Amino acid sequence: MTDSTLVTSPASAPFRRFAPGGPTRRAIAAFRGGGRVADAAAVLFLALLGVAILWPGLLTAYDPLEATPGTTLAGPSLAHPFGTDYLGRDLLSRVVFGTSRTISASLLAVTIGLGVGSLLGLLAAYFGKWVDVIVSRVIDVLLSIPGLLLSMVVVVALGFGATNAAIAVGIASVATFTRLMRSEVLTVTNLTFVEAAHHIGAKRFTVLFRHVLPNSYSAVLSMTALQFGASILWIAALSFLGYGAPPPQPEWGLLVAEGREYIVSSPWLTLLPGLVIVLTVLSISRINSIFSSTRKD
Amino acid sequence: MTSLPFVLRRLGHSLLVIALTYVFVYAVLFFLPGDPVASRINNPQNPIPADQAGAILEYYNLDKASIEQFWISVTRLFSGDLGYSLATGRPVADLIQQGLGDTVALAAVALLFTIVLALGVALGAVFAPFAPLRKLFAVLPVLALSTPGFLIGLLLLQVFAYQLGWFSSIRDEGVKSLLLPAITLAVGVNAPIAQVLIQGLRKAYGEPFVTVLRAQGVPEYRIITGHVIKNGSIPAVTLLGLTIGDLLAGSVIAEAIFSRAGLGFVTEQAVRAQDGPVVQAIVMIVAIVFTLVNLVTDLVYPLIDPRIRTAPKPVAVTVAPTQKAAVS
Repeated sequence: MTDSTLVTSPASAPFRRFAPGGPTRRAIAAFRGGGRVADAAAVLFLALLGVAILWPGLLTAYDPLEATPGTTLAGPSLAHPFGTDYLGRDLLSRVVFGTSRTISASLLAVTIGLGVGSLLGLLAAYFGKWVDVIVSRVIDVLLSIPGLLLSMVVVVALGFGATNAAIAVGIASVATFTRLMRSEVLTVTNLTFVEAAHHIGAKRFTVLFRHVLPNSYSAVLSMTALQFGASILWIAALSFLGYGAPPPQPEWGLLVAEGREYIVSSPWLTLLPGLVIVLTVLSISRINSIFSSTRKD
Repeated sequence: MTSLPFVLRRLGHSLLVIALTYVFVYAVLFFLPGDPVASRINNPQNPIPADQAGAILEYYNLDKASIEQFWISVTRLFSGDLGYSLATGRPVADLIQQGLGDTVALAAVALLFTIVLALGVALGAVFAPFAPLRKLFAVLPVLALSTPGFLIGLLLLQVFAYQLGWFSSIRDEGVKSLLLPAITLAVGVNAPIAQVLIQGLRKAYGEPFVTVLRAQGVPEYRIITGHVIKNGSIPAVTLLGLTIGDLLAGSVIAEAIFSRAGLGFVTEQAVRAQDGPVVQAIVMIVAIVFTLVNLVTDLVYPLIDPRIRTAPKPVAVTVAPTQKAAVS
């Protein structure tokens, strides 16, 4: 939904006081300005995460693993903007250093989901017949188990750890990509220019990779961004439950789990890492909507 | 209406999916490298005595070929034997029976909250009197989708149990202690439904029949409650059926946070102990419930929406356009 559809949405039709130039319209204009602010904030926040991944030392002066016994469970202050945890470790530096762990795990998960998923979808839609039947049943099976539960099954099989959790989330997201890719490729394969390419005498794989694939990718790309956000949440959930990265590591979900023990006396230990997760996923979906609206124009 | 061949075909398809899911879960849990039975017996922290290990090995027939083991587990399944927990040695059926009631109650209350919440948010997003207010409502599902379920749970726990003291965080207070975990589940699950509902209501409100009704002099609220909601909520009802699985899966986190001893708690313990038989049984229960609800939704669909006589693709709503639509 873009802002323009909101203004012209049928919902506003009966309310005549929302005529152009009216007070409500000005409020909408202001809100749209707010939309641009949100866009900028999203870009800025993701840039900040980029810095946290590449040069974490720029954002914090503390070692994420170094315990200082004198300052345990200190509240947010100038010296420790996010406070300190039960061992006196600076929470901000743990969040900053945890960024690369969480983001790279999500990246791995999305790569697996996108790679395996779109390849299966492509093959199923293009070759049809028994390939399609097999792939469709695989999708049915994968979709009949809720994602979080499916990733837990894989974690049980592979064992705990950050990489295994990422692989598990990747496998759990394969079906979503396969289904989307399959329907997109089916649409494109039936277009006349693909038929023309066949008639000119192009080889099957040439048609598939030169013509079909590039034209069916945009919806899948948009899905990738959303799934990236979802992967962050799933991986955080797995490490929150203790199936992901092992304890001394500063992984986001794990930070929330550690903070949970002290939620009564030191709620910031839970809330601030949680807030970072929320802002990250929000920013990613915001950026994705900017890109998908430019693609439509 | 729904023809018999269609019903039979759909039923056969559902049974096939359930059977294939069993094969898949079994394969992932027991065929992959890292045999859970062997690793449980050789667990350095809590080794199993040799005589008990012998009984376990005999029960699971680890000396036989994988295919043979699989066949044995299938025949046992049909005689009602779900196997034994590797961590506690208790029958899996017992563990599940113990937790099932709690979780079903939790899921039912959460489903109720989901419907109320999704309807409230969607009505607000489409019909609230001011555009900024509508936009605010439309943003709520996006916010809920971006928030990890455990954070919602911890927030509720912190505010309502610790700060305000309205709920006990440890004592079981009957129905009252269902509320917070149910809200936790509902907030996470209702977001996609609310988004689809918003789209559906917007679309229905733009249909010509609304103009006709308005011309007839039907009051606006009657148009909305009597016609727009009925017409616009059909895709959301379909999606509602599909969220049953998410409610059951989400109970793992909700029950972990609110210390409830339901199926989610059993799952959490089983995954932690890498207890293959328990995990397998729970996943199969969820998959069966999910597939059956999906089947019923498909079969009931033509009854809810008479315009659709032939088999519709049940999930007309793919995730991508839905989310794209709401993330603005």
